Amino acid sequence: MTGPSALACFGRGLRASLSKPYLGLSLWLIQLLLAAALILPVSNSLHANLDHSTIADRMVGVPDYGWWETFRRTHPDILGTFGEAAEGLLSVRGIEPDQFDGLRGIGASAFSLALLAIFLHAFALGGVLGALREPSSSLVTFGREGMRRLPAFLAFTLAAFAGAAAAYRWIYVESGRALEPRVQELSTEGTALAVTGLRLLALLVALTAIKLAVDAVRTVWVARPDLPPVSRFLMGLGGAIARPRRLFGVLLGYVLLTAGLYVVWIVLDPPAGGEARFALVPLILTQQVFVFVRCLVKVGYYAGISEALTRTPSPEYSYVAAGEPAAASGETVAHDAALDGPAGGVETDAKEEGPAA
Amino acid sequence: MLRAKKRPALLAWAALSAASASRLAAAPERLTRPIASYEISCRLDAEQKTVSGTEILTWTNTTNHPTSTLRLHLYLNAFRNTLSTFWREHGGRRGSRTIPESWGSVEITRLALSSDGTDLLPAMRFIAPDDGNPDDRTVAEIPLPRPALPGDTVAVALDFVSRVPRVSTRTGYKGDFFLVAQWFPKVGVLEDSGWNCHQFHSNSEFFADFGDYDVTIDAPVRYKGKIGATGAVVSERETSEGRVVTRFRQESVHDFAWTADPDYRVLKDVFREPGIGDVEIKLFLQPEHLAQASRHFRAAKAGLSGYGRVLGSYPYATLTIVDPPWGAIGAGGMEYPTFITAGTHLIAPASLQSPEGVTVHEFGHQYFYGLLASNEFEEPWLDEGFNSYMTARVLKHEYGDARSYLEVFGVRFPLGIDVRLPLDENRRYFAHAADDPLGLPSWKYLDRDEYGALVYSKTALALATIERIVGTPAMDKALRLYSERWRFRHPKTSDFIACLSEITGRDTRWLFDRTFFSSGTVDYAVVQATSEPARFPRGLFDKDGKLVPAAQAGLPRPRGYDTKVVVRREGEVALPVDVLLRFEGGHTYRSNWDGEARWKSFRVASGPRLVDAVVDPEEKILLDADRTNNGRRPDPDPRAASRWTARAVFWLENLFDFATVAW
Repeated sequence: MTGPSALACFGRGLRASLSKPYLGLSLWLIQLLLAAALILPVSNSLHANLDHSTIADRMVGVPDYGWWETFRRTHPDILGTFGEAAEGLLSVRGIEPDQFDGLRGIGASAFSLALLAIFLHAFALGGVLGALREPSSSLVTFGREGMRRLPAFLAFTLAAFAGAAAAYRWIYVESGRALEPRVQELSTEGTALAVTGLRLLALLVALTAIKLAVDAVRTVWVARPDLPPVSRFLMGLGGAIARPRRLFGVLLGYVLLTAGLYVVWIVLDPPAGGEARFALVPLILTQQVFVFVRCLVKVGYYAGISEALTRTPSPEYSYVAAGEPAAASGETVAHDAALDGPAGGVETDAKEEGPAA
Repeated sequence: MLRAKKRPALLAWAALSAASASRLAAAPERLTRPIASYEISCRLDAEQKTVSGTEILTWTNTTNHPTSTLRLHLYLNAFRNTLSTFWREHGGRRGSRTIPESWGSVEITRLALSSDGTDLLPAMRFIAPDDGNPDDRTVAEIPLPRPALPGDTVAVALDFVSRVPRVSTRTGYKGDFFLVAQWFPKVGVLEDSGWNCHQFHSNSEFFADFGDYDVTIDAPVRYKGKIGATGAVVSERETSEGRVVTRFRQESVHDFAWTADPDYRVLKDVFREPGIGDVEIKLFLQPEHLAQASRHFRAAKAGLSGYGRVLGSYPYATLTIVDPPWGAIGAGGMEYPTFITAGTHLIAPASLQSPEGVTVHEFGHQYFYGLLASNEFEEPWLDEGFNSYMTARVLKHEYGDARSYLEVFGVRFPLGIDVRLPLDENRRYFAHAADDPLGLPSWKYLDRDEYGALVYSKTALALATIERIVGTPAMDKALRLYSERWRFRHPKTSDFIACLSEITGRDTRWLFDRTFFSSGTVDYAVVQATSEPARFPRGLFDKDGKLVPAAQAGLPRPRGYDTKVVVRREGEVALPVDVLLRFEGGHTYRSNWDGEARWKSFRVASGPRLVDAVVDPEEKILLDADRTNNGRRPDPDPRAASRWTARAVFWLENLFDFATVAW
């Protein structure tokens, strides 16, 4: 059986995302609120250090290496070893757990907020996937669906997070340790870089598998409330295994589009508005529009995954409440209802899961 | 000067060398009188990683005292086991690298006087003059059958076998690659106070007397044309046994190192600059770095030109540059006479100035380590620190400032942020500013980080600061005088201070006491800068013999602003510093403050409005640990902080998104 291509799924997902911009808006708000927790500490530190300093003159548009080094050295309580931890994460050797020990102040808070972001992400995904399946959903739907799915989604998210951490540790870091002496004996640096590339590729494959599996489970979890939890879970895994190319294609589209956005951002990098005092406002607006667009793309990805798993010719993943049209995503509802609706239906939860009458 | 009087013969030779700007090849006269010369014939066993050789050491007692012993460095014994001083000091790690447990050694199997064949080996014993470590075998003492009197020459013949370790620190092999350095029994330096022959330490490098080296290397034929060494190739021939025998010779140097790798691509170029001379540059490059050949040559030429203009011409005919292979980074960034090892990466954006930086730096050692030959055990800053200072000058002149980078999974990406030379490149000093003064022997520093921060970076920043205080022309003249007066003579820090004092016409010792030999920090700050509209006086004033309120006193209305600026010395070290007050309308006020008191205030009544106040406006005091407090303006300007707050928040949002992207 053939179905829609990955590109088509991703495209439909993006359209669905655009048709329900409040979902992207919700994700953006979550991230903004998380970051907002640090606005005051960051702002106060910078203003205290720079406002009266003449060194700030040359820092309006471009960073100053000397200022950054001095700031980190003279205010170790503000960031701690945040920079070193970030470098360690991206290093050939990989980060060691004890590198987090030196986080302080804003650096430590950012790390904690990143963990909170993972928690909120579980909530948001429940809301996104639930709202996508309702033709006339709203922020209320988003919140309701998010809370309804939270226990299960939190478990999935934490499991995936643990899996990703384990993959980083046991695939990337440990392979690096094991191979280090041999890599040093390789004849050229090019070969050594290739080995690092292979380690990285293995990690990416593992992370991709984890991500696709957990996203498939989440999607089916929402799409098939008629099944017992274990069945939903297994069916989600089965969906990931049955359609890896399509799912991967959607993920690839998401990654490429996101990377493209970052390339555009980094190349164009709004130059802080030059010297004009009030150009700060356009800078902030541009930044937040960028984050919002990224959130739209992210919602589009999840909608695309939903499309890839629940569209024809895989009616087994679609759920239609008894006597009511199916709710796949956005404008495809009628189509799904016509082709995918299983006979009968399930009475339990039908009122909650089905589209509004 | 004291040592010069004790060594008149050396002084004469040094004067001769200083007077001559000619290269060795073009000048019949010698650069310096040989004190310790070597004839070595050795054979490389590439499979067993050993070099076995015979050596004739000809050594002359140039002191005013007799000696009844010889002392030999047996550097490779530092790699003998984990009980050596070298191994105990580094503990198996060098920076982030783990030193592989690959053992090296040098064994003397025969040691005899050349004159009469007296066997000296039975009486040889190992000593540890620095730390008394009975397990360290890097220094051997040999009693002589009769004392060597002042002026006597002693020749000894010896056989030795050197086991080369896997490259970790300055020497070794990796596969078929060899950097054979500190590999032969080498005599210490006899001074009037006795033998100066230190053990091999983790941080320290070397100290030796000058002499002539005639070295014949017998290696497998696959190394034909792929052997580089100190000096010039005299001959190369293949033997019927499938070997290649290459002979090198160089006079007036104090060490000999060589390299061999069948994978080398050997490239040549010639440096020519009027007044400095002609030098043949040989580049032994790894094949995967061929595209960077021109960058190596350009850097070497920049070094020859830049150092030559300040310190005088490079007097040797050749310069060999070695590019160690992947996995042998420990062999990179080293210097031996006329022979340096650089090191680069496959992906090396030009803006990062690598391999340019290491090439220029290692070349610079040809002056401070090579020609001046100061004692790196006892005063390592005279080489590494002075050279770091000069490296920054040459790099800045040739390439401009460098760029910072971010290393991602082994690939370095430029960040586009300027790294200003020499200040930003030596910022590691500030983290150790209060740890120790310079003045310690190299093995007495707390660890390698502190050693690097102080010996390299503090010295570089201190010299750059002194240059900015006395002026670049005076500094250049002092360096030139130091270089020419002390070539081949092992100068000490006091000798450079004397040169600088002589050039500037004033005692500059205090500058070094407060920079080099102080562990105090330097930090000046503008702690207050206010400029308020001048206020009408209040109170009672005399008018017509009566006390009247100010309003009735007919006082002129005040104009302009009352300004107050307070500059504070936050650090322990006082250095003279300029204070610049800039006012609206382009008015300025400049004051030179001796910096001795803890603070100094400036008041201006009814003047123009203050724009800002800056201490050390020309950034002369590069040792200032915190430049962010050097300038202050009365009114806050929130632009920079607001923008960077916005950016920080933006990237935090993205960070939180990354944190959730996979799960």
